[in-house]
Amino acid sequence: MALKGLDIFKLSPKKNCKECGSPTCMAFCMKVAQGAVSLDKCPYFSEEALATLNSATAPLMKTISVGEHKLGGETVLFRHEKTLVNKNLYAVCVCGDCDADAKLAEMQKVDYERIGERMYVEFVFVRNKGNDPAAYAELVKKAVATGRDIILECWDVECAKAALAVAGKNVILDGATPDNWEAMNAVATEAGVVLGVWASNISDLYDTVKKLEAAGNKNLVLDVTGATAKETLANAVLVRRTALKQEDRTFGYPSIVNVAKLAKGDSRLQTAYAAMFTEKYASIIVMENMTYAQALPLYGLRQNIYTDPQKPMKVEAKIYPINGADENSPVALTVDFALTYFLVSGELERSGQPVNLVITDASGMSVLTAWAAGKLSSSTIKKTFDELDIANKIKNRTLIIPGKVAVMKGEIQEKLPEWNVVVGPLEAVQLPKYMKDKEYEAAAKAAAAENAAKAATTVEVKELSFDELLATKVPAIEVVDMGVQYKGHNPESKTFVTIGERIHCIAPTIRKAMDERDPAPILERAAAQIKAGATYLDVNIGPAEKDGPERMMWAVKLLQENFNNVPLALDTANMKAIEAGIKVYNRTNGKPIVNSADAGSRIGYIDLAAANDAICIALCSADGIAKDNEERMVHCDNMLERGLSLGMSSDDLWFDPLFLVVKGMQDKQMEVLEAIKMFSDKGLKSTGGLSNNSNGAPKHVRPIMDSALVAMCMMQGLTSAIVNPNDLRLMETIKSCDIFKNHVLYSDSYLEL
Amino acid sequence: MSFEPKTAPFSGRVNAVTLGTGDNAIVIGGQNVLPFYTFDAPIENAPKIGVEVSDLAASWDVASLKEFYAGCTTMADYAKKAESIEGCDFICLNFVGADPNGANHSVADCVANAKAVAEVVSKPIVVMGCKNLEKDGELLAALAEALAGKNVLFMSAKNENYKTVGASVALANGQKLGAETADDINLAKQLNIMLKGLNVNPESVVMDIGTAAVGYGYEYAASTFDRIRLAALAQGDADLQMPILAAVCNDTWGVKESTASEADEPVWGDREERAISMEIATAVADLTGGADAVVLRHPESVATVKKFINELI
Repeated sequence: MALKGLDIFKLSPKKNCKECGSPTCMAFCMKVAQGAVSLDKCPYFSEEALATLNSATAPLMKTISVGEHKLGGETVLFRHEKTLVNKNLYAVCVCGDCDADAKLAEMQKVDYERIGERMYVEFVFVRNKGNDPAAYAELVKKAVATGRDIILECWDVECAKAALAVAGKNVILDGATPDNWEAMNAVATEAGVVLGVWASNISDLYDTVKKLEAAGNKNLVLDVTGATAKETLANAVLVRRTALKQEDRTFGYPSIVNVAKLAKGDSRLQTAYAAMFTEKYASIIVMENMTYAQALPLYGLRQNIYTDPQKPMKVEAKIYPINGADENSPVALTVDFALTYFLVSGELERSGQPVNLVITDASGMSVLTAWAAGKLSSSTIKKTFDELDIANKIKNRTLIIPGKVAVMKGEIQEKLPEWNVVVGPLEAVQLPKYMKDKEYEAAAKAAAAENAAKAATTVEVKELSFDELLATKVPAIEVVDMGVQYKGHNPESKTFVTIGERIHCIAPTIRKAMDERDPAPILERAAAQIKAGATYLDVNIGPAEKDGPERMMWAVKLLQENFNNVPLALDTANMKAIEAGIKVYNRTNGKPIVNSADAGSRIGYIDLAAANDAICIALCSADGIAKDNEERMVHCDNMLERGLSLGMSSDDLWFDPLFLVVKGMQDKQMEVLEAIKMFSDKGLKSTGGLSNNSNGAPKHVRPIMDSALVAMCMMQGLTSAIVNPNDLRLMETIKSCDIFKNHVLYSDSYLEL
Repeated sequence: MSFEPKTAPFSGRVNAVTLGTGDNAIVIGGQNVLPFYTFDAPIENAPKIGVEVSDLAASWDVASLKEFYAGCTTMADYAKKAESIEGCDFICLNFVGADPNGANHSVADCVANAKAVAEVVSKPIVVMGCKNLEKDGELLAALAEALAGKNVLFMSAKNENYKTVGASVALANGQKLGAETADDINLAKQLNIMLKGLNVNPESVVMDIGTAAVGYGYEYAASTFDRIRLAALAQGDADLQMPILAAVCNDTWGVKESTASEADEPVWGDREERAISMEIATAVADLTGGADAVVLRHPESVATVKKFINELI
C-alpha cells in the first residue's frame, strides 16, 4: 500500500537539515512516497515512526509458503488491475471412511504439462473424523507417501500432534477454531507449520484471527468454507475485499475452500464450484477427487486467469507432431505466442494431414509484431533449428512459413539452404484447405529447383569491411532539390525533440524503396517531415539481416547529404547496420541516436551507443511490458548504470517508458505519465513512441489524443517523442508547450517558426 | 471490535431485458451487484440457461446426445425435446448451417424451420445466425419478420453489419437485438452507441462480448467480463449496462478436450464426461464474470449449471 507524502511528513523529524540531499523534509517525504528515494537516506526518523511506516507499507495480503508453494500475496481484486500473483492450488480430500489408497492412486494419475506448467494435485487434504490419534496418523502416512504437501483438517489436539509427528514440514494444520485456537496455536507453532483457521461464521473467523495475531502467529490461512456455496462465496469475497479494499490486514491471508464439502458426491457440481472459486479468491480448492475430465478445464482456466496481463503466454519452442506426423512429414513454422499456437495447431489438426509444427522463440509475440521487433528473423529461426536439431530429427525438407512474413522467405532460405522454404497462407483458418490440397508440394518443388540452381552458381563470399562495402555496395548519392532544407539543430537546446517516424519499413513503399535503393519515396517522406519541423528523423530499415550495413550507410548518406546533415535515429534489429550507419554519419546537428536498447535481450545496444559516442533510447522493459513503475525504474537504473560505467553521459540515455495503447490499457496511462515524472526527477531525458496511445482509434481522433497526451507528458518532463511530424495539431501543441515551459521566447508568430 | 462486513450495491444497474411473451417470458439482467454477490444486495433475476438447437444437430457425434434426441429429425423435434430439459429457460436456435461456406441452408428453409419451432415450443426463443456477415443480414431480417410478436432475441449485430441487422430486427420488427464484439470493451461500447444512434432502444439490446473455452486464451474473456461489468455498475456507464449472453456451446465443443477420442488420448478417459466438464467449467467462469445467460448443448451440463445457479442465488 503506497503511503502519501504528507503521511510520511507527519512522522518526519522536520529538521530540514538537507543531509539527505533534499532541500526540505517535505521534499524528501514526497520523494519517498514516489519511491524515488529510500527512507533510510534520513537517519533521524524515530524507531517508533519507522515501525509505523513499515507496518503501513507492509503488503495488505501476506504471502504464505508451504514447502515450495506460495499462497496469497495478491494486491488486486481483478486481474486487469495489475495481475494475480500466486495461482490457486488443488487438494484432494481423504478421510477414514473412504478408500484412501485407491483415491490417492487415482489422484496421482493426473500429472501433465500444459504450456510449460506442471498440472497436478499439489496437496492431500487429510480429514480427521474421530478422536483416534493412531488411526489418523496412519492415514496421514499414506498421504505423505504421495510426496504431495499436506493439509490436516483436524480440530482435535491429540490427533493433530500425532499427525504432525508423521506429516513432515510441508503442512497446513487446518485446525484452529474459536474454541480451540490457543491449544492449536501452540501445536502449530511448535511444529513450525502454517495454521488454518475456521469458524462457523465470518465474524467469529475475524475475532479468532485477531486473537491468533495477538498471540504472535501470523503464519495463517483461512478456511472460509461455509455451510453452503452461497455462504462460502460471500466469505471468500468479503475476506479478500476487506483486506485489499478496506485495507484491514486481519483478513490479509490466503483462503481454503472445500468444494468437496459443498457438493459431496457430485463431481460435476464440484467442477462448477471450483471454476467459480478460481476466479473468486480461493488459494486452495479441496476436491473429492481429481479426474482428467475435471483437471483439463480447471487447470486450463487457472492458467488463463493467473496469466500476467502484461506478459504474453508462451508455449515451449519445440517440434509438435500433429496428426501422427513423423520424420517424413513436412514442417510448418510459427511463433511461441500461446494464442497463435492454439489457433495454428487447432487448424492443422482439423486438416487431418500429418505435419510437424515447429514453434520458434519469438518472446511470446504474434507473427507480425515479432517480425517488426526483430524477434522473428531468419537468425532466430536458424537458432531454433540448430538448438532443436531439426535437420536430424526430420527428413522431409519442406518448411512452410507464415504468409504474413512472406518477405522473410529469401533470408530464411539463405540461412537454411538445405530446406525448401514455402510461403503458407496468411490466416490460420486457411490452413485446413491449404494442407488438404497439398498446395505446399508444388511450391516446395519449385524452391528445391531454385536452391539447386543457386547451389551450382554460389561462390564463397568473404565478409567485407565497412569501407569496402561503402566503396562497392553503396550507390553514389545524388542530391535532389526537394524544395526544403533542414534548418539546423542545437544539441544544447532545451526545446522538445521530435523524432519523425515516417521512414519505417512497415510501410510497403518504404520497404520497397529500401530493397531497391530507390531514393524518391524516402526523400519525399523526409522532406515532408523536415518541412513540418521534425528535429530528428528515424530511419527504420527493417530487420535487414542480409545487407543491413550497406542499407543503413546508403540511407544515412542519402538523407544527410540531401538535407543539410539532418540528425538521425538509426532503427534496426541489426546492430552491425547501426554501427555502419554511424561510420558515415555527420554530427553537425547532433549525435546519432541508437533506437533502441532495452533491459532484456537488447541491452547490448547501450554498449553499441557507448562505443560509438551515440545517444541511446533505453526502453524500460525486459520481457514484455513492465508490470509497474517499480519495475520500470529498476530497468531504468540498470541501464543508466551500464551506460555510465561505459563512459556515457547520462544526457545521452533517453529513457522510454513504453507508451501503451488506450484501447486495451486505458487504466495504465497515468502510470506511464508518472514514470516520465520519475525520469525527470532523476534529471534524465526521456522519449518514446507517443502516438502508440491512439493506435486503432479513428483517424480524426488520433491527433487530438496525441496532442492531449503530449501536453500532459511535457508537463511531466518528457523531453522528446517519436511522432508523426505531419500531424499539425500535435506539432502546434508541442510548440505551444515549449512556450509555456519557457524553452522558446514567445512571439506572435511562434507557430510559424 | 468484531467484524462488520462492508457491503453495498452499486449505483449503476444492468438493464433488465424481457424475452418471450406471457407466462413463459423470462427476464435477464436487472442486478446492481457483481455476479452472485447476494451479500451486497439481492439478485432479482437469476442467470438463465438456453439450450442449443442446431440445424446441424444431426451431425453431433456424442452418443448420449444422439440417445437423448433419438427420433428427432426436424429442428422443431429437437426444440420440443430440448424444452423438456429440466433447467432449460429458453431455446437457442443456432442456424450455423446457413453459412454459405458450409451447408448453405437457404433462408427459406431456415424460416420454415423457425416457424415450425415457434409452433411447438412455449419457452422464449433466441436465434443465432451463421456468423457470415452478408448471409446474416438477410437471414436475421427474414427470421425477425417470421417470428414477429414472439419477442425473440437475435444474435447478432456486429460492427460490420449493425445497420442492416439493427434496422430489420429491432426497428422494423421490434425484436430484441444482440450486439456482438470479440473481447474488446472499447468496441463493445462503441457498437452500443452506434445502435443507439440508429434509434435502437438500448433497453432492447443484449451483448455477446465474446468468450473462449477455458484454457484457450480465456484470460481475455475473463478481463473483458470484469471490466464491462465494473463499467456498468461502478462507473454507471449506460452504454455498457446491457445484459450479457454467452454462447458457451460454440466455444467448448470444438476444442481438443471435447473432441479427442479415448483412442487418441487414452489417459484422459471418457470423452463425453470431458466435453460436459468443459462446457460446465466455461459456463460457470462466464457466469462468475458477468454472463446473464449462457447457451449450452448437453442436458447434463444444463442440469449441473442450473443446480449451481440455484445454490448461489
